[in-house]
Amino acid sequence: MQWTTIFKKELLENWRNFKWIWVPIVFILFAIMDPLTAYFLPRILETVGGLPEGATIDFPMPSVAEAMMMSFNQLGMIGVLITIVISMGLVSSELKSGVYELILSKPVSYTNYITAKFTSILLLVSVALLASILVAWYYINILFGSISFTQILISTFFFIIYFMLILGIVMLFNTFFKSQGMVAFLSIVTIIAINAITSIYSHVLTWSPGLISDYIGVYFYSGEIETETWFSLAIAIILTIICLMIAITTLKNRAIE
Amino acid sequence: MTLMSVEQLTKTYQSTNVVDNISFTLEPGKCVALLGPNGAGKTTTLRMLAGFIKPTSGTINFSEENFKKDVRNYVGYLPQFPVFHNWMTGEEFLIYVGQLSHLSKQEAKARAHELLELVNLIDARKQRISKYSGGMKQRLGIAQALIHHPKLIILDEPVSALDPIGRREVLNLIRELKKDATILFSTHILNDAEEISEEILLLHHGKMIKQGSIEEVSDSQDTVSIRLAFSEEPKFIEERLKEIDSVFKVVRQEHGFIITVHDLNAARNQLLDTIKNEDWQLTKFEVAKSSLEDIFMKAVTE
Repeated sequence: MQWTTIFKKELLENWRNFKWIWVPIVFILFAIMDPLTAYFLPRILETVGGLPEGATIDFPMPSVAEAMMMSFNQLGMIGVLITIVISMGLVSSELKSGVYELILSKPVSYTNYITAKFTSILLLVSVALLASILVAWYYINILFGSISFTQILISTFFFIIYFMLILGIVMLFNTFFKSQGMVAFLSIVTIIAINAITSIYSHVLTWSPGLISDYIGVYFYSGEIETETWFSLAIAIILTIICLMIAITTLKNRAIE
Repeated sequence: MTLMSVEQLTKTYQSTNVVDNISFTLEPGKCVALLGPNGAGKTTTLRMLAGFIKPTSGTINFSEENFKKDVRNYVGYLPQFPVFHNWMTGEEFLIYVGQLSHLSKQEAKARAHELLELVNLIDARKQRISKYSGGMKQRLGIAQALIHHPKLIILDEPVSALDPIGRREVLNLIRELKKDATILFSTHILNDAEEISEEILLLHHGKMIKQGSIEEVSDSQDTVSIRLAFSEEPKFIEERLKEIDSVFKVVRQEHGFIITVHDLNAARNQLLDTIKNEDWQLTKFEVAKSSLEDIFMKAVTE
C-alpha cells in the first residue's frame, strides 16, 4: 500500500517533469545514430564531396551484429550517463530540500521509500532501453539485414540487469551525500573502476557485471549465450540488492541536520 | 492519565549534549509550549518526540491501547521550515501523506478535503504548492500534520516566520485544534506561549530549567514589580523611594519607575502613604504580574 503510494508518486513526478518523454527520446536518438551514420556515411561523403579527384574509399559495410552492437555501445556510454543524471537526486535532493523531514515524520518505512523510488526509476530506464533498442532493431532490419526478435528481447533484458546495478550504485551514494554532484561523480568513478578492473583481469573476472555488454556481443555474433553470462547477471543482481540494503541502513542511521 | 512521558532524554552530537537529561510528561488535552532561545535544543527534542531521530539515551513512552510500535502513527509533526513537493497541488500532497500514513485512498481524499476546509485552503487546493504564499504553506503544513488524526500534534515554531495576519490565523487554528488533541509547540516568542498554552517547558542549553503551568511558573517568582509614573517628577524621588523599607530595587525608566518588592501588601501601603503624605502627582500605579518575559530573561541570564 505505502510502497505503491511512493511508487505512483515517483511515476507522476517523472511524468510532470517530462522525464517520461525526453529520456526515451534521447535513448532512441543515441541508439540509432551510429548504425545510421555507418550506413549513410559513404553516400554523405559522395554528396558533400571534398574528396580529391579519383579517390575512392571503400567503407566496409558493418554486419548486422556489428550494427546492433553499435547501438548497445552507445547506450552503454551515453545511456549510463543519462541514467546517472536522472537518478542522482532521487533521495539526495529530498534530503537537501528538507521535504525528507516531512515525509519521515509520517510512519514511512525506509525499505519502502528506497525500493519504491528505485523501482520507479528502473521502470523508466527499462522502457527507454526497450524503446530505443526496438527502434534501432527496426532500422537495422531495413538497412543491414534481419536479426531475430527473441535475440533482441533477451539481450535487452540482459542490458536492463546491467542498468539495474548502475541504479543500485547511484541509489547507494544518494543516501551518503546531499550534493547531487557528489553522487554523480562517485557513481561514475565506481562504474569506471568496475569496468577498468574487469578489463585488466578479464581472464579471471569472467563473472563481472562489467562484461555483460561483451556477452551480449558474443550472443549477437554467435547466436549462443555463454554460460558465464548467467553468472555475471547473477552477480549484478546480488550487488544491486547489497547496494539497496546498505542504502536503507544508511538512511535509517542518518542524522538529520 | 499521561499521554507521553519522557525520562532523562539526552541527545549527543559530537560529544556535546544538545539535549541534556530532560524529563517531563504530557497530559492529554493540554497545550504545552516549549520555550527557549535559539539553539536551546528545541527542534532536536521535538524530532525525538516525533519519533524520527533516536535519543542517545533516555526513554519516551507513549501510552496508547494496542500501541503499534511506531510512534509516528500517533504523532503529527510540523517542521520549522516545512518543504513540500512543489510540483504537487495542495490537495495531492495531503492525499499523498495521508496514504503514507496508512489511510486508504478514499479516507485520505475525504480527510484532505476536511483539512483543506479547516485551514482555509479549499479554494487553492488545485494550485501547485510552488504558487502558495508563506502563510498558505504554513497552513498546509499544519494540515499535513493532522492528516492521520494524531493524538499528539508537534509544531516546531509554527508562527515565528509569519506576518501578523498569518500569525493570528495560525494561533486561532491552534486554539481550534486544542479541542481534540494534545499540542506541543516550540517558540521563542513569549506572547504566543502566554496566549494559547496552559503549560510551559523552558529549555536552555539543552537543559530543562523550568516547567509547569504558567501560574505555577509565575508564582515561583519571589518578587513583584510595581510601575509608578508621575505627572511632575518630585525632587529626589529616587532616593526617597529607596528609603522605604519594603522596596527592594528602584529602576528609572523613560516614563516613571519600576520598583521591585518582596512583600506586595506592605509595599503598597507604604508607597501609597508616602505618596499621599508628600502629595506627589501620581498618574500611574500598576502592579505588574511578572510576565513570562521576566521569567524567561531571569532564567536564561542566571
